[in-house]
Amino acid sequence: MTQDLSFWTLQTLNALQLSMLLFLLSIGLTVIFGLMHFVNLAHGALYALGAYIAASIAGTAGFWVAILAAPIGVALVGVVLYGGLIQRMRKSGPMAQVLVTFGLIFALLDLTRILWGDLALAIATPAALSGQVELLGVSYPAYRLFIILLGAAIFGALALVLARTQIGAMIRAGVDNDAMAACLGINVERLFFVVFCVGCALAGLAGAVAAPLLSVTPGMGLQILIPTLIVIVIGGLGSLKGAIAGSLIYGFVQTFGAVLAPQLASVLIYALLAAVLVIKPVGLFPAKG
Amino acid sequence: MFRHTPLRYAVLAILAIAALMQAFTAGYFGLEILIEILILCLLVLALDLVAGFGGMVSLCHGALMGVGAYAFVALNVLADLDPWLAALGAVAITAAAAWIIGAICARSHGIYFIMATLAFGQMAYSYVFESPLFGGDDGMGGIDRFDLSAIGLDLNDSRSFALFCLAVLAAAYLFATAILRSGLGRSLAGVMHNEKRMKALGLNTWRIKADVFGLSGIIAGVAGVLAAQHIMFISPGLMNWTVSGEALVVVILGGLGTLVGPLVGAAAFVVMKHELGEVTTYWHLVVGVILIAVVMSRANGIFGWVEARWGDRIERRLTDATRSPAQKEVSTDA
Repeated sequence: MTQDLSFWTLQTLNALQLSMLLFLLSIGLTVIFGLMHFVNLAHGALYALGAYIAASIAGTAGFWVAILAAPIGVALVGVVLYGGLIQRMRKSGPMAQVLVTFGLIFALLDLTRILWGDLALAIATPAALSGQVELLGVSYPAYRLFIILLGAAIFGALALVLARTQIGAMIRAGVDNDAMAACLGINVERLFFVVFCVGCALAGLAGAVAAPLLSVTPGMGLQILIPTLIVIVIGGLGSLKGAIAGSLIYGFVQTFGAVLAPQLASVLIYALLAAVLVIKPVGLFPAKG
Repeated sequence: MFRHTPLRYAVLAILAIAALMQAFTAGYFGLEILIEILILCLLVLALDLVAGFGGMVSLCHGALMGVGAYAFVALNVLADLDPWLAALGAVAITAAAAWIIGAICARSHGIYFIMATLAFGQMAYSYVFESPLFGGDDGMGGIDRFDLSAIGLDLNDSRSFALFCLAVLAAAYLFATAILRSGLGRSLAGVMHNEKRMKALGLNTWRIKADVFGLSGIIAGVAGVLAAQHIMFISPGLMNWTVSGEALVVVILGGLGTLVGPLVGAAAFVVMKHELGEVTTYWHLVVGVILIAVVMSRANGIFGWVEARWGDRIERRLTDATRSPAQKEVSTDA
C-alpha cells in the first residue's frame, strides 16, 4: 500500500486540507496574540459559532450565502466581545486573559446549546463542489480541494497585505513594538480592533467551510482549540510564516502519523510540540527575533 | 512567604467543622459529594502550590492526577500488589513524572509554560486513550480500597472513606504549608517575583521549580489514588485537559496563592455544579459568567476578596485584643 504513488498523493492532499483549515483558524489567533499580547482561548468557540451560523443559513439561502454570512456574523460577535470584554482586559496579565476567555468558552458553549440544541447539525456540500476531481492519478473530493485552494488564496492575500500595503506595514510595526508604533502616529488601538475583527471573521469562515466536512456540534470549538494552539506555539507567535509552517507541520504529522503509525499518531504531535518548546522555547518563526 | 492569618485559621476551622458535620450527618449522596469535594481539594492544593506560589500555571495537573490513578490501578490490578504498596508506587511515579515535566518546562514562561504543560498532559491522555494495556477508552475497573480493618475502619463504607479522605487532605495541607515555609518554598517565592535576581544570587532556579513541581506531583498523585479508589473505575477522561482547566478555574474562583482559598473554591464549585445541575443543564453558562465576573472584578477570587476586605481589620482587632485582655471577647466575635 505504502509503495503506491497514489497513496502518497491522496494523503498529501488530506494533510494539506487539514493544514489549511487550521491555518484559517490559527492566523487570526496568532496575529491577535502577536499584536495585542492577548490570549484568546475563545477563538475555537467563534469557529463553532461560524459553523452554526452557516448551518442555519445554508438550509434556506444556500451554501454560498452561508459562507459569506458566517464570517460577517462572527465578526459582529467579535465587535461585541471587543467592546465588552477584550478592551477592558487588555492591560491585565495573560493569566487573567486566559481565564476570562476560558469563561467565555463555557458561556458560548452553552449559548450555542440553548440556541441550536444539543443535536449535531449537518450541511450539504454545495452542488458545484459535490463531485470528485481527477488529480495526479487520484480522484479527490472537489470540496476538499476547494478548502485547500481557499486556504492557499487567503494565505496569499494575507502575505500580500502584510508585505506590500500600508496597513500591513502598520501591523508589522505594531507586532514588533507597539509603543514605538504608537509614537510614530499609528493608531494602535484601532489597528487592534481591525485585526481582532478580521481574526474573528477568519475563524467564522473556517467554521463555515468545515461544517460540510464535520458534523456541527457544540463541542467542535473545544476540539479544534488544542490543535490551533499547538499550531501557533510550534510556529511561533505573531507571524504569518509561523502560522503556515505550524499548520503544515501539524497537518502532515497528524495525517501521516494516523496512516503510518496509528498507535503513536496522537502522542506524536504532542511529543513534537514538547520537543519544539525544549529546543526553541518561542517556536520556530516568532514575529520577534 | 506563606503565613497563616487569623482569618485563614478561622476559614480552615469552619471548613473542617463543616466537612466533619457533613461526614457524620449526610446520607449516601451527600457523602459522595463530600468525597468529590475532598479529592478536588487535593488537586487544587497541588495546583495552587505551583501556580500561586511559583507562578507556574500548569495545565497538566489533571493529567498528573490521572497518572497517579492509572499507576495505582496498574500496580493494584495488573501487577496484583497490595493497595498500600500500589499507592506508594503510584505516588512515587507521579512525583517523578511531575519532576521531569517541571524540569523540562522550567525554562519557558507565561503562555509557553502553559502550552508546554498542556502538551505533556495531553501526551499522557492520548497515550492512555490508545493503549490496550490500560484498557484504552474503555477504562479499567476492579480497584480495591485500602484495608483499614486493623483500626476498625471499613473503607468500603462511604462515611469511613469520606473521613479517611478528610484526614489525607489535612495531612496534604500540612505538607503543603511545610514546603512553603521551608527554604525551598522561600526560594520559590523569590523565583516567582524575580527569577533573574535569584539566578544572580547563585540559585539554581530550574532545580527549585522542578523540585516544587515534583512535590506538588506527590499531592496530585495522592488525589489520583483516592479518585481511583472512590469511583473504583478509571477512564482516560480523568486526564483530559479540561480537568486541569477546571482545577485552574477552581483555584482562581477560590483565590490564587492563598492555599485556603482554593479549598473554599473547590467546595463552592462542586456544590454549585450539583445544585445548578439539578435546576438547569446549562450550568456551564452560569460558571462561565461567574468566572468572567470574578476575574474582571480584579479580586483574587472569593477568599482573596474577603481577605482584602476584612483580613486587616480582623488582624488589627486581634492584636489589640491580645494587648488588652479585656477586649478579648469582642475579637472572638469578629
